[in-house]
Amino acid sequence: MMTMTILKTNNLKYFYPDGTVAIDGVNIEIKNGQKITFVGPNGSGKSTLFLLLNGTFKPQEGDVQFNGKALRYDPKSLRNIRKNVGIIFQNPDDQIFAPTVYQDVAFGPVNLDFPMDKVESNVNNTLEYVGLLHLKDKPPHHLSGGQKKRVAIAGVISMEPDIIILDEPLSNLDPVGADEIIDLLNELNYFGKTIIISTHNVDLAYRWSDYVYLMSGGKVIGEGTPGKVFDDTELLKMAGLKQPSTLEIYHEIERRGLAIIGELPKTVPELVGTLKPPELMWVNVPHGTQEGDTLNLGIMYGEYAQHCPYEAVNAKVLHIHADGRAVVEMMRKGMRAGCIIIYDMDSYHRNDLLELIDKSEIDVVGAMGTISKNIAEKDGIHLEITAGVIDKSILMALCGKRCLVLTNGGMIEHSMKRIRDYVEKSGINLSVSVVGGKNA
Amino acid sequence: MNNLLDDYALLSPLRNRNNRLKLGVVVFGLLAGVSSTSIITPLFVAFCMGITTVFFGKVPLKLYFNLMLAPMGFAIVGTVVILFFFGSGNEVIAFDVFGYHLVANSQGVDMALHVISRTIGGMSCMFFLALSTPVIELFSVLKSTRIPDAVIELSMLIYRYIFVFLEVAMSIKYAQTVRLGYRDFKTSLSSVAMLASTLFIRSWEQGEKLYISMSSRCYDGKLAIFETRRPIKTSEAILTCGYVISTIASSHLTII
Repeated sequence: MMTMTILKTNNLKYFYPDGTVAIDGVNIEIKNGQKITFVGPNGSGKSTLFLLLNGTFKPQEGDVQFNGKALRYDPKSLRNIRKNVGIIFQNPDDQIFAPTVYQDVAFGPVNLDFPMDKVESNVNNTLEYVGLLHLKDKPPHHLSGGQKKRVAIAGVISMEPDIIILDEPLSNLDPVGADEIIDLLNELNYFGKTIIISTHNVDLAYRWSDYVYLMSGGKVIGEGTPGKVFDDTELLKMAGLKQPSTLEIYHEIERRGLAIIGELPKTVPELVGTLKPPELMWVNVPHGTQEGDTLNLGIMYGEYAQHCPYEAVNAKVLHIHADGRAVVEMMRKGMRAGCIIIYDMDSYHRNDLLELIDKSEIDVVGAMGTISKNIAEKDGIHLEITAGVIDKSILMALCGKRCLVLTNGGMIEHSMKRIRDYVEKSGINLSVSVVGGKNA
Repeated sequence: MNNLLDDYALLSPLRNRNNRLKLGVVVFGLLAGVSSTSIITPLFVAFCMGITTVFFGKVPLKLYFNLMLAPMGFAIVGTVVILFFFGSGNEVIAFDVFGYHLVANSQGVDMALHVISRTIGGMSCMFFLALSTPVIELFSVLKSTRIPDAVIELSMLIYRYIFVFLEVAMSIKYAQTVRLGYRDFKTSLSSVAMLASTLFIRSWEQGEKLYISMSSRCYDGKLAIFETRRPIKTSEAILTCGYVISTIASSHLTII
């Protein structure tokens, strides 16, 4: 199931009425359940390709295949493809046209002739899912950019498509709003939806996607796993893009011999994981120290270096310099890793949570997903982390902190998987557990 | 865009009441005010509507007075004209202004009082509706009337895109202002012309985008309108009955 091809194009060509070539022989193969990104500069044909994929435009040459069958352009087939391939446009105002949020989200299901009670339950569930149920009777012009984006996404999810296509999903969003949209997409993907996005944000494409298509001038000029595509600087130059910063930093570290060579890091925790610990170090030594002595530096942990992952460090003095400084060889006592506890907000009780924070000596609390953030805010629970929650918690745990992540639903499994993957890759054993819900 | 009446209506606690009841109360108030021969009835209607809007609708008193002030300005100017130039009968007030002899007679006074009280009564009914029932709620009421669906659906789309284009127009105007597009009459004129033509093209484009996005969501000629069921509560029914009875009574008992 996971590797079945769901959407495919064969030598797709599309010309605008004035003869300009918009799509020039594109072959793509989208696998079911994957996260796909189309990266390319403005005007490279991403949006046109998307409109070809749901049958809005009809290609002059080649064809689009959905589930192995070539797309035909009669009303019935078009209805079928549009039910299964939902598109969310870059500007939510192009898409949200009903006078209230509820009516807009209900538009798709009503036109699909769902029975009235199914329309109602679909709309309510979807709005709750994207965290907007409390705004359902508002007119769209009263919403913020991020909320409008979520209404647009809800309007498509309520039609239960298999594939969700988003054109520039993070444009015009603030970092926290963007992070929430990404969380939402991850959750949808976790429940089996194929997600296709377009972006020119290379950092996002690199860390988020399973598979990347690089587009330029209406052609696919490169494709593959993010590591493969974004490590090819010549290819990126051709597409008018630059390397993701994580990768750029990694290569600079690598060039200076400070990195452990292995898999390319995608996230900040992975980048940190590639850092080679220093073996020799310059330190100031007390007067009278001899070469060959062992020093307890002890400064690498505790109040002197709160963000350092090492406990007390012993060092062997190798050489004493004239100015009182010495070169020492580090002898570490290993990592003191913290832990990450995931709290299921579906079984939330304020007192239970406060007791847990107190008992488990939690240092840092973070929340993922709008519902959890809203509950925490309402009940006055202070949140240190609200964006990039999993990565931040891993980084904090690496520094010996105890983190609590408040989340719910499918995000729990998703977070567990992300953290376990990290543990497996890095070989650093962070303790992860889930509290509450059916996992209790 | 915080000053639209519709925004107050959206936040009003009265929004969550039965729309038909509210419409009924307004229509009754208007008819009672206009058909009454007494000046007490429209004033009574105005008093009741004012109390409802300010106390139950939680509209700031100051805002309500400011709103009433605008139509009142027109009404008073009109009343002055009626007072001195209409009707016949006994002289009530008479004085000389710049050699003109101005006379207000009893019929004129009567007519003027009627006009002003009916204005107050009518306006208070309209403001009650405007401040308690957002346009989006009216669509669902319209749907249940015999008005063709196409008209209602068009007005829904128009209503929605008024705000989109308002925003576009405001940002274009700002962009023109910062580049001195309104520094004198001549440039203002050409700037306004540019704004209008750009807005026209934008709305044309928007229409095409809208069509694509609607057909992407399987548009099949159906634009759903949902009416939330809000049964009339006993307390509301009693209050309304009391209001209706006392209004009718006031118009029968106080025939002047």
